[in-house]
Formats: sequence, structure tokens, C-alpha cells
Amino acid sequence: MKHVFQHPPEPETGKRYWRGAGDLGNTPEFRDWLEREFPAGSAELKDDEWSRRGFLKLMGASMALAGFGLNSCRRPEAHLVPFTKSAEWTIPGKSLYYATAMPRRNGALPLVATTVDGRPIKLEGNPLHPSSGGATDVFAQASILDLYDPTRSRGFLKKGKPADRAAFDGDIEKLRAQIQGDGGAGLAFLVEEMHSPTRERLRTELERKYPAMRWCVYEAAASDAQLAATLTSFGTNTHLIPRLERADVVLALDSDFLDCGEGDVAGVRAFTSRRRISESKDSMNRLYVVENRFSLTGSMADHRLRCAASQIPAFTFALARKIADATTDAGLSAILATVPPSASGTGFDEQWITEAARDLVARSGTSLVLAGASQPVVVQLLVYGINSALKNIGTTLSIRDVARNPRTLSLLQLAGEIVAGRVKQLFIFGGDPVYNAFRGLAQDPATKQPLDWADLQKKVPQVIRLGYHVDATSALSQWHVPLAHYLESWGDALTAEGGYLAVQPMIMPLFGGMSEIELMNMLLGGPKVDGPELVQETFRASAPAGDFPTAWSKLLHDGFAAPVPARDRTATLNTAGAGALGQKLWAATPAPTPESPEIVFVRSYSIDDGRYSNNGWLQELPDPVTKLTWDNAALLSPDLAQHLNVVTGDLLRIAVTDAAKDAKGQQVTRELVIAALIAPGHADNSITIPLGYGRKMPGFASLPYAGGSVEDNPTTADQIGFNAYLLRTVSNPHFIVADGKAVESVKVEKTGGTYALSVTQEHWSIEGRGLVREATLDRYREDKDFVKKIAGDEELPATLPSLYQHPAMTAVQQWGMSVDLNVCTGCSACVIACQAENNIPVVGKLQVSHGRSMHWMRIDRYFASEKGYEEDRREWPEDPEMVHQPMMCQHCENAPCETVCPVNATVHSEDGLNVMAYNRCIGTRYCANNCPFKVRRFNFFDYTQRPVGKKKIAGEFSTYSEYLGPLTSKGAPDIVKLQKNPNVTVRMRGVMEKCSYCVQRIEESKIAAHVRAGASSETRIPRDSFTSACAQACPNDAIVFGDVADPESRVSKMKAQDRNYRLLEYLNVKTRTSYLARIRNPNPKMPDARKIGVASPKEQESNEAARPGGEGGREQGKLNPAGARQPNHP
Amino acid sequence: MANFFPRWTNWLPLKIAVCGVLMIGGLTAATWYYVTPKYTRVGYEPIQPVPFPHDLHVSQLGMDCRYCHSFVDVAAHSNLPNTQTCMNCHTQVQKDNPKLEPVRASWKTGKPIEWVQIHRTPDYVFYNHAAHVNRGISCFSCHGEINKMPVVYHAKPHSMAWCLECHRHPENFLRPDDQIFNLDWKPDDVKPAEFVSKYGKPVGVTDDWAQKKTLTQKEIGQTLKERWNIQPPINCQGCHR
Repeated sequence: MKHVFQHPPEPETGKRYWRGAGDLGNTPEFRDWLEREFPAGSAELKDDEWSRRGFLKLMGASMALAGFGLNSCRRPEAHLVPFTKSAEWTIPGKSLYYATAMPRRNGALPLVATTVDGRPIKLEGNPLHPSSGGATDVFAQASILDLYDPTRSRGFLKKGKPADRAAFDGDIEKLRAQIQGDGGAGLAFLVEEMHSPTRERLRTELERKYPAMRWCVYEAAASDAQLAATLTSFGTNTHLIPRLERADVVLALDSDFLDCGEGDVAGVRAFTSRRRISESKDSMNRLYVVENRFSLTGSMADHRLRCAASQIPAFTFALARKIADATTDAGLSAILATVPPSASGTGFDEQWITEAARDLVARSGTSLVLAGASQPVVVQLLVYGINSALKNIGTTLSIRDVARNPRTLSLLQLAGEIVAGRVKQLFIFGGDPVYNAFRGLAQDPATKQPLDWADLQKKVPQVIRLGYHVDATSALSQWHVPLAHYLESWGDALTAEGGYLAVQPMIMPLFGGMSEIELMNMLLGGPKVDGPELVQETFRASAPAGDFPTAWSKLLHDGFAAPVPARDRTATLNTAGAGALGQKLWAATPAPTPESPEIVFVRSYSIDDGRYSNNGWLQELPDPVTKLTWDNAALLSPDLAQHLNVVTGDLLRIAVTDAAKDAKGQQVTRELVIAALIAPGHADNSITIPLGYGRKMPGFASLPYAGGSVEDNPTTADQIGFNAYLLRTVSNPHFIVADGKAVESVKVEKTGGTYALSVTQEHWSIEGRGLVREATLDRYREDKDFVKKIAGDEELPATLPSLYQHPAMTAVQQWGMSVDLNVCTGCSACVIACQAENNIPVVGKLQVSHGRSMHWMRIDRYFASEKGYEEDRREWPEDPEMVHQPMMCQHCENAPCETVCPVNATVHSEDGLNVMAYNRCIGTRYCANNCPFKVRRFNFFDYTQRPVGKKKIAGEFSTYSEYLGPLTSKGAPDIVKLQKNPNVTVRMRGVMEKCSYCVQRIEESKIAAHVRAGASSETRIPRDSFTSACAQACPNDAIVFGDVADPESRVSKMKAQDRNYRLLEYLNVKTRTSYLARIRNPNPKMPDARKIGVASPKEQESNEAARPGGEGGREQGKLNPAGARQPNHP
Repeated sequence: MANFFPRWTNWLPLKIAVCGVLMIGGLTAATWYYVTPKYTRVGYEPIQPVPFPHDLHVSQLGMDCRYCHSFVDVAAHSNLPNTQTCMNCHTQVQKDNPKLEPVRASWKTGKPIEWVQIHRTPDYVFYNHAAHVNRGISCFSCHGEINKMPVVYHAKPHSMAWCLECHRHPENFLRPDDQIFNLDWKPDDVKPAEFVSKYGKPVGVTDDWAQKKTLTQKEIGQTLKERWNIQPPINCQGCHR
């Protein structure tokens, strides 16, 4: 019988999955983009590029000339250079693994660094430590690239001029004499949060020596509201730790707690541990999210309510009232009584709040309400009150003792000290306050004009900056001292839970940098240290009894000290204190309007608060939600965009006028011009701007990680993105709304200009062919095979015919992968891990916009909604849901790419891999054309050998270095080469590449098994003894890799689950990667429950109409969209 | 009509054809021979900073390969000895030999000796020594009679076809696990009775090997291949990653 399989058409009605407006509206531009093998223009040279004809002419001429050069054909002589003396532990070509930790503002992440020949090349989580469990996040993965940043600071600078260490030592000695003279009366430190016990110890010693000194901690993306609320509610030195593994119902109020980059990996793991199900009778938690923009947490939500950030206090109040009524909790009622009645907001979905509150109350003791750190103190207080009323304190919200030094100043207090002229010597460790400090920190006493940090810093006679880059803050400092990377210096740090970790250097400082503790030690007049002496001294105090060297070796070996049992303490909410504070602080915020929207600042998912702005991997990482690369943008809802008459890419002018007036009676207006990006699912009348972009650094190179010499790299003074810090003031640190008190007005208007954004959301799109599958938990329980009934999989014959001969997959071990969509939060750690492991180049903003990005794996972000996109009226679905789907080479057993390769460069191996032999590839790109998953990547340029990025020619004229081809210098800078993984070929121009299932790891394990086997026959790799880079990095174990021929392996067990499905089954490609369908757990009583996680709401509606019984009225097997999805059997 | 073409032109097409065939054939043959690794690599014998005589150290002094190439059985690379390794003996033996001056200079200054690389695999080939020497492949198979070389030269072509020769038929090269570093080993050295008692026989062989005088390489190799489950990769990923 002849079978002609056609793609099942998408149903006209029912739920639709889409990525952007073009996809949803099926616009001609989108079709054009979609139907190409590579996106438009990416396979052609045009515009400012060379024409193919011109290129061929030139090539012909150079071929002719090459004949004259044949006499240079001589065998190049290479040398082998052994050590003179053996280096400890080193075996040439073998990796060594050391435990270390990455200090972070919310607690350090324990890591294991892989070093090859003395250079660290890859970081993994420390599997022994519960704070990591072997997982990492994007920033930990990408921090290895920062170590090898060619533009990092390379030496000491005195007033901008190169100086040497000796001169600095001399100056510090003089400074120390001065400080000692006045007991530190003029001394101040401005530092970042690091949680380092050694730094704390040295600080205490400094305070003892110079009692009048000041210590200020500033973190641009952190907030002290939570701290202040905790202090009042539960007493000093307390710290609240959410216990997400114990929570059945979680309600997040503007809280992005599932963002690993912000929170701790362990917290995200705890949440997903309750999300993971292996069969239909398992239970899972339920997540309600109230937020203004789609966050990673919002994408995991079962119920999501769009609410402007400035209206969260009013919402919290409404929720607290419901809960107080239901629980009749005296404490919460007391706090609520202090809130003026005007505070209660209106316009919230009454049923939503009622049912959510009911659900929370029903699960008292196992529910949890979380407020975002950026929300004001009153929200935090109310949330503590709610949790207390729900009896969650001590169960899902633990209280822990954390010692705090009460003498820490805020940036505002430090600014006051500077204005008063009391600060004479200022040490700035890290950060970049000129860039990211609040604007208008202090007022000029004379003119009443607001002063920014740059003005303040100029008032301090001696500023010593310890910085990683020579940035704007360094430019205003007397001394710039290169800061050592954490992989270059000794240190220690505490995890978010308070565990002690050792920070062990992997390499000597590449450019003679110093660490913070070394500089503090110098100020103390301590002896010069090169080793771990300072950390050892700290550790000695807490080391376990017994031999110290043994304890120290164990600390370095494990990476952490034996965990001290957590001392959770019981504390009750101080309702009187909380009520009093709340009463003082409560201010009703007017609801934002289309004319005067609120501006919300969030940290960027890609480059945090700007500290990673020179990290090419992170810049090129598509934002997990917007899929924007290399830029930030003003995210706004389709409705607001329509009101402002803007589309994505239009420039907006945002003007914020302060209420305060200066001495002349003038008001201060701050302006920011920024590109708009329409973000479905965004709250109306609200604009979200990610922070961290627009950071200017002298010598900032846009793409320093590409090839070419460092000097030759295109250095542009152009900033990347837009600096939202320009709008941020102390009174409006997280959102600005025209409340008439601090801010007079917020005006947003279209400038008329446009800006090119590189958004990858429609790149590599494969249309809705049942790629993402989801259901509600109820539906899954009714029909555990629902996943097979989508996209007509069940109608396929048992064995599909195939034209081609298939390779014999005879190996004992067969590799495969499983991706659990239910626990994938979209954090993208896997994407960066893959990039680090597989030497994937950075291609730059322009090439990304042409669809030439090289990521071997991408995370497809789908919106799901009931309604389509109305092209004429530009009407968008209001409340879409979001699904993330990691997508990489599926390693089809019947791989379509293999049959079209004319040179057999891509073939199948006996253990089931679709392998790529780069040295055979001639670059026809047929394989990419034939790949149904669009996962093959082509090296259009020599990214690793030649410079990439914008290059100024003269005046206004500029071009892109990659188009200059042989006119640019060849070869990568040594510092860039140091990061490369020696076990993976660095690909050249003209070669196709794709996910290899980390074949180098497979082969390494295989060889190790053979070496172990020696003269015996046991050559199997032990079960689950290694994994791919993406699976290893994943904080939630959403990706599992292993031997599919072994029924006991983790991956086989995953694949045996009911929810398992393969993509495009009807094409008979037999993919080795399979997915587990997403399950949502909506509350059936919620107003939006009807449309959550349902394949076809229309059908469900009709079913429910037929059976007014309600919930149970869904018929088995009828939910797949009407007969439209039939394979065609003529 | 007069004969436009003279008579001798009758043979011209054939002559051209024969010449053409000869020329093309010659070119092909010349390229075949002169451009292959068999010609370009084999025999490469660069001048080394120190003319290290393997014959003297191995054959006369009886040193094991692994004294100097100490990580050959654990790592992908077979390391060259550190200066320290040389100086273990040469602080006492031949301590004034002028040929050893670079070694002494290196030891004094700490600057390593730069040996000229002879056996070089391209960057996209990931060869692993440990995987071979632990599984019955001797140094001899790839490097030739190193133990007889006064100065090392490239003895085998190391082309991909040459690699595959063994990967397809490993039985032609496998040897007992205690003879890997014995470069003088010959199949005739094997005592059949001892061999059979230790390694057994391949499946399906009914002859009584213990009665045989000698075993052939093929017989030895086939036995070991089965005994050790030797399945060399013949797919791209085995060497190219």
C-alpha cells in the first residue's frame, strides 16, 4: 500500500501554539521566513557584502597567483615541549577536577572546575553539595568566559596612566599612615554582596583598627525591603527560607523565584521536585502567579494574572482580606486594620482572588505565598501576615539565624557622608556605581540639584577602585587595580542556606590581579600573601576538631565544610511591629493609565545587573522569555502598543519628571529613549525594562571572543542596549508610577525613529505540528495516553515504510535523550553549557538577526492561546500561556540529513548517533535544508579565526569585520584559545555543525571503559556514569541522557512513562530524543481554568454543555482536534 | 576529390588516445604514489636537539617504553619524558657527553627541550594511546621497530586507510597483553599450549592447538579479539569529534 504522509494541518479552531505575531497571524513575511532553509538573507551575500560574482572573480585571480607560491610547500616543523620537571598531578591530555565556588549576591554556588593543562575550561555544579546537586545556572556556566575576556583590565592604572604594583604598594603605605592618623574617620568601602566569611573577618579587623570607617554594600538588583520587613516581623538576624519542596500551593506576587540566576539553584530544584511526576497517580503542586510581565515563574504558572507591579500592594491587600476573613486570624486582621481603607484596589478579578485564597486556606500549612524582593515593605509585611495566618511559618517558610553586621551602610547613607565631606578615602570593590547607582542619590546643598554617583565620586579626594574592567567608575578613580577572577584567587563564601564553601583558584592571575581580601589585608598592614593563608585563618575558627591540615585538605577536596545542621528557629510574627511599620509606610498608588503607564525595572535574564555585559555568550543568549539577543527593550502589552501606535522596534521616549523642585523652582526630568518590544502576556499600562544594558566601558569591544588579534578586533564605543539605570532613583528603585509624591509625571511617546532588534523568536520555526503537548492533571488521570492522541499519532500504522536502508545499530549501548517539558523552566543554563562544552562561536548581533546564530541547542518558547491574531485590528490574545521546549539535534534513526549528503559527511554510527565529520563536509547545506527540526548550523564566516562585528572605517562609515574576509588578521588571541575544549574540533568556515550528543564525552567514557577492561571483555560503560553537557547543567534534571538499550538506565525509565512522545512521528524519522508532555494543574474553580493546558477548549466546552455535570464531563479520546489531523491514505 | 588528410593521419586519433591514456594514467599513478602519506610521511627523520638513540636504550639497556613515555597507558597522549627523567640517569651516566649538552642546559635553566614532532595527527583526529596499548596493540604496530632506530623516523604512513586496515581486521595485529611493549615479539614466540590454556580458542575451532608447533598471527589475533571483545570503531565518531 502506498502511503503519502502529509503534515497534519493545524485545526482552524482550538488551542494554538505560536511564537510571535507573524506566526500567529500567518503573515506573508513569516511564511517567507519559514519556508527557507535558513532565514532570508542568511544564505546570500548582499547589501554591504560581496556579490557572489565578485567573489568568484577574486577567487579565480588568487588561484592563479597561488601557483607562484607553490615553492613554499614544505612540511611545517612542529615541536613537542615536555615539562622540565613534572608538575604535580598533571598528566598531559587528562583533565583534572577541582572543587571551587562562585560567589554570588544571593549566596554562592558550589562548583567543580575542569582544568586541562592548568587552564580551567568548564564549570559544573558540585554534585556532593545540596545547594547545587551537580547543577548550575547560566551565569556560572558563562563565568568561565569572563576569565578569558580579552578586554579585562590588564594592569594598575594611576589617574588613567599605567603604573606598576610597586607604585601602588607605596601609595597604599602612605594612605595607611593617613588612615591610621585619624582612626579611619575618612575611610569608606563600597562593596558588592559576596557572603565571604574571610572578607567579613577582615572587615571586623579593619573596624577594630579604624573604628570610624564606613562599610557600604550596594547591589543594583537587590532590595532591602525584605530585610527590613523580616527585621520588624521576626527580629534581627533572621532570614526566611522558603521550603518549596513542602508547598502544595504556591502563590507568587511579582516574585520570580524560579529564576536560577537570581535565586538559588536549590530553591528551583525544590519547586520542581514537586512538579515532577512519573505516572498519572502522582500529585503535583499548584502555582499561582501575579505579575506584570512574563517571567520564568509566570511561564510555569498554572494560573497567571496580569497585574501592574505598582498594583501588587493593592492586590496583596485584597488577598489578605480574603484570607483574614476565611481564617479569622487575629494577627493578620490586626495588620490589615492599620491599612487605610483607600488602599484596597479595584478592578481585580474577584473570582480569581476568592478561589485562589480558598485554595490557599484549604492547604493551610502546606501553602506558601511569596512576594518579590522588589515589592515594598508593606507587601512583604502583608505576605508574612498571610503566611502566618495560613500557618506556613515554620513549615513552608523556615526562619533561620543569620549573623549580620549592623554597621553596614546603604548607598544613600554613604552618599550623605560624601556630600557632608566626611569621606576622604574611598575603596570601591567591583561593581560599577557610576553606571548602576541610583540617580539623584543626594542633593547639592547649594543648588538643590540632584547629584548622581559620578558627581559624588569626584568629591572624594582618594578613590581606589578594584575592578574587573576599566569602566566608567575606574575613569573617575585615582587608582584602578585589576581585580582577580574568582577562578584566580583564594576565597570562601556562604551558600544561600549558610553552608561554608572554599573558593579555590584554578590558575594564577592572568594579568596580576588582586582579590578583595588581599587588598584588605594590605590595608591592615598584614604580611603579603600569595596563598590561602587568609582563608585558612578564617577556616581555623570553624574547622572540625583534629588535625588542621587534614580538615583543610578535605575542605579543598570536597569544596565545602561538613554542613552544620540547619538551626531553624521558631518565631512568631510580631504583629504589633509589623502593623505599626505598615501603617507608617502604606501609600496607595494610583493605577497606571495608558497616558501615564508605570515603568518597571527588572534585572536581565542574560546579563544580570550589567556585570556580564562584556560576556559574548550571555549577550547572544536569547532572553528566555522575549528571545531578544544583544539588547534590552521596553516590553509592553499589545494594547499599550496600540495605544502608543508603536510596533516592535519603534523607539520610545520615556520622560519621568520628579515632584521635587530645585533651588530655582525647576523640576528635574529624566529621559530615556528605548526600543519597544511587544510582549504578549504583559500587563496593560505597564512597561518593563530589563536593567544591565547600555553600559559603556572604555575599550569595550563588541565581540572580543571571535578570532583576530585583540587590537584588530572591532572596538566600538557603541553601547549595547539601553541604560535603564538613568531613570532609577532611590524613591523609585523598582518601579516608577506617577503618584504625585515622588514622581510628578511619566510620559511615554513615540520618537518616530526605529531600532534594529535581533529577536530569535521566529527563527527555526517549525509550525504547530503537535510539537509541544500538554494537558491538565485531571485529563492526564482520565486518559493516561492522551499524548499519543495528539497530531494523529495513534492513526499511524505500527511499522512505517522507508525507502532507505538503515544503518545497523549493533553496538551494545545505544544513546538517547529525554526532555521533561513539565520541569523545564526555560532558564537556558543548558544552552550556555553546550556553548562552553562544544566551542560554539559567538556571531554578533547582525548575524543573529540574519538567522546565523550557532547555538547547537535552542529553547523554543511557545505561547498558547485560544484566539488567533487579528491582523487588521492588531488584536492579540490577552492571556497566553507559555511553554518552553529545548530543541537540539534529535538524532533520528532514519535521519533525513544523512540521505542527502553528497560526501557522506553526516552518517549514522553503530551506537545510534547521527555523527558529523567536519573534515569531510564541503558545505552544500543540503542536510540543513532537509532537517525537519532546523537544528543544523552552518559556519557562514570564520568566527573563530577572524574578527566579527561592527568596524568603523571613517567617520560615519562602518562595516562588519566578517565581510572583510581575508583583509582582517587571522588567528585567535591566545587568551581566547585558552578556553577552548581540546576534545572538540574548532570548526572553520564553510562547515556544517549540530548537536553531537556530546560525542566527546561518550567516547571518553568508552575509552575509559576499554582501558579499565584491559585484558578482559567487560567493555560496557557503567550505567548513567556520564551525561551530556546540557543534562549535567540542568538545575531540574529536565534533560536526561543515557543508554536507551539498558532498560534500567534513567533515560529508559523516562522514556517508559505515559507522557513520552516523539516529534514528527508521522515522518518516520524515529528520533532518539523524546519529550515528556507538560502537565498543568489548574484549579477547576478558577475563572480561567477552562482554557489552561487543554488541547482544544472548544471541544471541551461542547462536551461540558452536553453534560452539565461539570468536571467529569470530558470524554476520553475526543479531545484531539477534530478529524482534521488525518494522515492521507489515497 | 583529393585526399585532404595525408595517410599518416589515420593513426593520429589512436596515437592521441594512447598518449592521453598514458599521460592521465601516469599523472594518476604519480599522484597516487607521491602525494599519499606513504610517500610524504614515511621516512621523515628530522634532526633532533639530542640524537636520542632508542636502539641503545631499549635493545641494549633493556629499558621499558613506559620508563620515559610514562602515561602512554593512561592518557590519550604518549608523553615525552621531562628533562628530569633524562637526568635521573644522566647525572651519573655519560654526564660529560657533549651530545647531552641541551639536556643539561635545560636542567640548569628550566627551559624545556623542544623536540621536533615526527608523528603528527591532524587536529580533527582524536587518537588515544591508552585505548590501544591496553587492548593488545603494540607500539610496534604504528611506530615500527623503534627499538632498532638510532634516530626515530616515521615508519608507517598513518593515513586514514592505514588506520582502517587494522580497525577492520584487528586480528592481524593483536598480541598477548604481556607482549605489548616487547617490540621484538613475533607470533612464533608464542607457545601454543601455554597460549591456549591462558586465552582459549576462538569459537568454532576444533583443531587441537596445543599440539601445534606455532600459531599464526591470525590465530592469535582471532582468539584475543573474541576473548577481549575487541570491536574497534569504524565509524567517524571513533576518531573525529
